[in-house]
Amino acid sequence: MKKIKSIEVLAAKIRRWIIEEVYSAKSGHPGGSLSCADFLACVYEKYLNFDSNHPEMIDRDRVVLSKGHCAPALYAVLALKDYFPLNDLKTFRKIDSYLQGHPCMKSIPGVDMSTGSLGQGISAAVGMALASRAEKYDNWIYVILGDGELQEGQVWEAVMCAAHYGLNRLVAFVDLNGLQIDGNTATVMNVGDVAKKFKAFDWNVLSLDGNNVSELDMALDTIHRAKTDKPTVIVGNTIKGKGVSFMQGQYQWHGSTPNQEQYETAVSELDAKINELEKCHE
Amino acid sequence: MLGEKLDPRKVFGKAVTDLAAINQSIVVFSADSGKSSGFGEFSREYSDRYFECGIMEQGIIGMASGMATVGKIPVFCAIAPFVTARPYEMFRNDLGYMHQNVKVVGRNCGITYSDLGATHQSLDDFGLIRLIPNVVILAPQDPTEIKMAVKAMIDYAGPVYMRIGNPKIPVLFEEIPFEIGKGRLIQDGDDLTIISTGSMTATVIEASKILEKNGYSVRVIGLPTVYPLDEELIRSSAEKTKRVMTIEEHYCDGGMGTMVCELLSDTKNVTVNRLGIPKEYGTTGEYADLLAYYHLDLEGVVQSAIRFILEG
Repeated sequence: MKKIKSIEVLAAKIRRWIIEEVYSAKSGHPGGSLSCADFLACVYEKYLNFDSNHPEMIDRDRVVLSKGHCAPALYAVLALKDYFPLNDLKTFRKIDSYLQGHPCMKSIPGVDMSTGSLGQGISAAVGMALASRAEKYDNWIYVILGDGELQEGQVWEAVMCAAHYGLNRLVAFVDLNGLQIDGNTATVMNVGDVAKKFKAFDWNVLSLDGNNVSELDMALDTIHRAKTDKPTVIVGNTIKGKGVSFMQGQYQWHGSTPNQEQYETAVSELDAKINELEKCHE
Repeated sequence: MLGEKLDPRKVFGKAVTDLAAINQSIVVFSADSGKSSGFGEFSREYSDRYFECGIMEQGIIGMASGMATVGKIPVFCAIAPFVTARPYEMFRNDLGYMHQNVKVVGRNCGITYSDLGATHQSLDDFGLIRLIPNVVILAPQDPTEIKMAVKAMIDYAGPVYMRIGNPKIPVLFEEIPFEIGKGRLIQDGDDLTIISTGSMTATVIEASKILEKNGYSVRVIGLPTVYPLDEELIRSSAEKTKRVMTIEEHYCDGGMGTMVCELLSDTKNVTVNRLGIPKEYGTTGEYADLLAYYHLDLEGVVQSAIRFILEG
């Protein structure tokens, strides 16, 4: 129970910093960053084997943010886990900052793969899982996909390959928030029943509330205990903009940034959430 | 043995397989194309390092990138346009941008897949890949250079694109260490510098003999590395002969000839003539017929050189 609370606190702090980053940059993608914050918090708080002092550790667990535009969420959790100073998050997207608009593994400690062009990250994650298994490493590879991203054909090449090679230490999280830049995913290009599609590709599938830390924790715990020869996908039903009242469920917040008033409202909501959680935690 | 004709794909595959015996990091990706790429022996000897992925070239580039982050040295060979033009963005983002230690080899390059038509010919691969920062481009000129180039590309820590052909090619050179970025002065001369790359160099060497017999003194430079160019050798040759003719199995636009023009753009009193394929979709037919059709056969090269020397 104690661990669940600490995951919730971390998720709230990630959200708080997402808002700080996009407000400082006056650009960025808050909607999808907020929706995947709970999964990132869960993985980094409880499951990931990493050492922020040695980010190059070869047999580390790895995280690939295939939906690279949600970099604010990844940067926030990396800073909160001491890969780099929290205040650097305010340089997000600024000239000469190492925190570019999309994650770059060459310049940002803790970023395991450069991403940005959708559909490409999962191929890299499959390669990592193949190589790690060949080296007999005991590590896990996590990849985070957007639901709009599933429209990219390359995703399904990688999904097919992961099943073919039985990559049982590959865990995909589909951030199924149902919205993309132009509107509802179902109307832009319907990705259909995501769980069924992955099942048809011979993956283990867990469907849950992707903004519910307890459910995520149970799913990851199950995956870590399971004896399986298949990769696993967590299809997480999430809310785009989760945690900020006026952003929730609004596709317009895919790539918009808050003005000062909206920033203050968002910060006040998230600070209140953090305070509330930390009080409970005590 | 000098003059012996060998299959470039088999030479390439054997070179990788031989190195794999001493370098455990080498892995091979196949897009339903491994055996045609010369990896039959590798797939049998090192089945745990041979990854068949079926027909998904763009996905393989990404997977190779992921493997490289775990310390592997992936080698991926398939038909040239399918590993360059098709997965271009993956090449740029997953290999170039991250300077990943992945080796991509385009086989059946240029018009060597002559009878398969435009979809299978690669007349733009130099031009495409050279625009991706920091990717080495190799085009070895004979079987000996293929073998040595494979070793050099495996030893080099970073992304490499190498192109090889399909028909058997003659052994032109004795074995010497391959240095990335170094050209080869094959013959000295005063009237004209001919710069060639890949399998065209064999034709240029023959052409230079005919030109010599006809009283023309030709300086011949072979480039097994297209990027980075051997700037010093090219500049000094251009300054000496004032006339430079480039020859490649590639579009005249955007390839090695264009790179030479860019390099020499600030050199006074030098004229460059580029031979290659006009920017159009290639026709089909026998390889030798296509070379003649595009004036890249022995007669075409000789006539182009004489015309250039006489008419400027």
